Amino acid sequence: MVIQESMSIMEKLEILSDAAKYDVACTSSGVDRSGDGSGIGNSIHAGICHSFAGDGRCISLLKVLYTNECVFDCKYCVNRASNDVVRTSFTPEEISRLTIEFYRRNYIEGLFLSSGVKGSPDATMEEMIRAVEILRGQYHFQGYIHMKAIPGASPDLIERAGFLVDRMSVNLELPTAEGLKRLAPNKSRRTILKPMKQIQVRHMENKQELVLYRHAPKFVPAGQSTQMIIGATGESDYQIVSVAESLYQQYSLKRVFYSAFVSVNRDSALPMLPQGPPLLREHRLYQADWLLRFYGFRAQELLSEKHPNFNLLLDPKCDWAIGHLEYFPVEINTADYRTLLRVPGIGEKSASRILGARRYHSLDFHDLKKIGVVLKRALYFITCNGRMMYPTKLEEDYIVRNMLDPREKLPVHPSEVTYRQLSLFDDQTLMQAGIGG
Amino acid sequence: MEYEKMIFVCEDSMEGIFTAVYEGWLWCVRGKTVEISVKEPECPEFFTTVIPVPSDSEKAGKVLRTVRDKLGFAVYEAVCYTAVSVHPDKGTLVFRVLWQALSGRRCDRRVMENLADPDVNQVSRLRIKVWHELHRYYGFVRFREIGGSVLYSRITPENDVLEMLAPHFSDRFPNENWMIYDEGRKKVLLHPKGGSCSIQKGAVLQAEKDGALTETEEYEELWKSFCRSITIQERKNPRLQQQLLPLKFRSNMPEFP
Repeated sequence: MVIQESMSIMEKLEILSDAAKYDVACTSSGVDRSGDGSGIGNSIHAGICHSFAGDGRCISLLKVLYTNECVFDCKYCVNRASNDVVRTSFTPEEISRLTIEFYRRNYIEGLFLSSGVKGSPDATMEEMIRAVEILRGQYHFQGYIHMKAIPGASPDLIERAGFLVDRMSVNLELPTAEGLKRLAPNKSRRTILKPMKQIQVRHMENKQELVLYRHAPKFVPAGQSTQMIIGATGESDYQIVSVAESLYQQYSLKRVFYSAFVSVNRDSALPMLPQGPPLLREHRLYQADWLLRFYGFRAQELLSEKHPNFNLLLDPKCDWAIGHLEYFPVEINTADYRTLLRVPGIGEKSASRILGARRYHSLDFHDLKKIGVVLKRALYFITCNGRMMYPTKLEEDYIVRNMLDPREKLPVHPSEVTYRQLSLFDDQTLMQAGIGG
Repeated sequence: MEYEKMIFVCEDSMEGIFTAVYEGWLWCVRGKTVEISVKEPECPEFFTTVIPVPSDSEKAGKVLRTVRDKLGFAVYEAVCYTAVSVHPDKGTLVFRVLWQALSGRRCDRRVMENLADPDVNQVSRLRIKVWHELHRYYGFVRFREIGGSVLYSRITPENDVLEMLAPHFSDRFPNENWMIYDEGRKKVLLHPKGGSCSIQKGAVLQAEKDGALTETEEYEELWKSFCRSITIQERKNPRLQQQLLPLKFRSNMPEFP
């Protein structure tokens, strides 16, 4: 381990942002706060993306580690104690200065501060809080701050941090307790879930206080999030989605982030991924996450013990719809909001637009197209005034076959279909279609 | 005498368009077909009267107040955003939608929901387009420090969103001297420290001419290196990056050389 004492800000930033890049959350959303005129900054509820990195991920916050020195030895992490990398730390003054100068130039929306564990969790947390205190106190910074709670830090430090920042997160790291034990021997489910619960309870209490006293200080106003690594251990999508669902329900998390495992360390406990990180799987999990949070789906509806993984060729909603044809077709001009939401190709926006527009007159397929419904997917599942768009059949094989067609042609008329058992994985063109799209 | 169809030609600004709406309304109630154009029609049409309308802040203000009070904020926002867009028929579209909502003692606050109607649909699309560009500029504006105390930024927006950036940035940087220069329209939005924003038209910036803006500053270098090191090479996806941050925005962003 090399520890260099005198390092320029440039070198530190390079090392400590490079080490922070595997953290997924870079959202600046969830809190509306206008500036009070005394200092600098504000926040808007939707969040703002300031740039996009070469991997297409949004850059909204200055995402850095406070230090990459770490006493923990988590197998998947580039900063684990047993790795031989250059170690360095910021000082609270350096971090706050850098944040303000970036913020003034409108490069960022705020600060995302994570850290390795230097010495003890409490000592590390103490220094991180110091950096944020300078920002809030000295610079009167009213922009967004997201801070990681270090597992094992004492409850009063978490309480102190919570009143300074907008969002806190404790990483779940791995979806199952066994996986965690195997890959992150210094962390346990208990040290992760305890601060999570504390933040949730305190956030709820704070909401009550704010009802009574409008100007009471706010505790983690943008809520808390977490993230887990996908594909490092052998769990199924069903397990992951169920964990996410229970986190939303029992810990009232704002977001659960999924991070496709990127192999940075050679270790016998980790999988080799010659084909790169499982990005498509990560994408399907995010789609399912949206279904849980905004579309009223439950984890057991999407997957089950018998059907534990998402179909990589179809998005989870199409997959669900094709397995539940008894709910379809849905009549656009009479169906309620929740029913519309379950139709593939209709999202939150188009569903509420349909409700608004059909008060004026009944809608046909041409109107739906203008409203923004993705007819390519929706046409198999809807009727307008009792009519379908094309004479299609409500049959699993037929729909799958047409949806996966790479040439996006009009559906084949039922009479032209040659009937045969369709298997997803022996047809070369179907495979290509799914992977290409 | 006035023909059946009347084209009101106004200045290309919110004030101009809403003045034309005011004037047009008086003729529309008499049964004429009204169109609003921001430039002289290229080829004259038969049986059409062309009337130039000078901007009048009082008349435009009356229209905007009526829209906001009677139709609510959503419709107000939609017509304002449409009025600053680059669509050639924006004036006529605004007029028709307002006519649909307000004519003959009607007061349809939910007019924007009637998306099956072509005019409403078009206005709704333009609203989204302008809103999207505005919101992107909230993030993509880049300031650089010149002369030690002034933050300067240059943008080239497609729609005329410069004035709409003012509330956001004055709330964000109340204690800074900053300016945002719309290069295409030669307009500059000025904000003095602790003061309020103003617009200066026909501005040519001395610093821009002198080339005082070519040297890079320390924090720009830090920012560039941050953007490089935050990228995960294993996930490289330039197509996605370009979809989310199109090339036209990049000319003023230091992280893109």
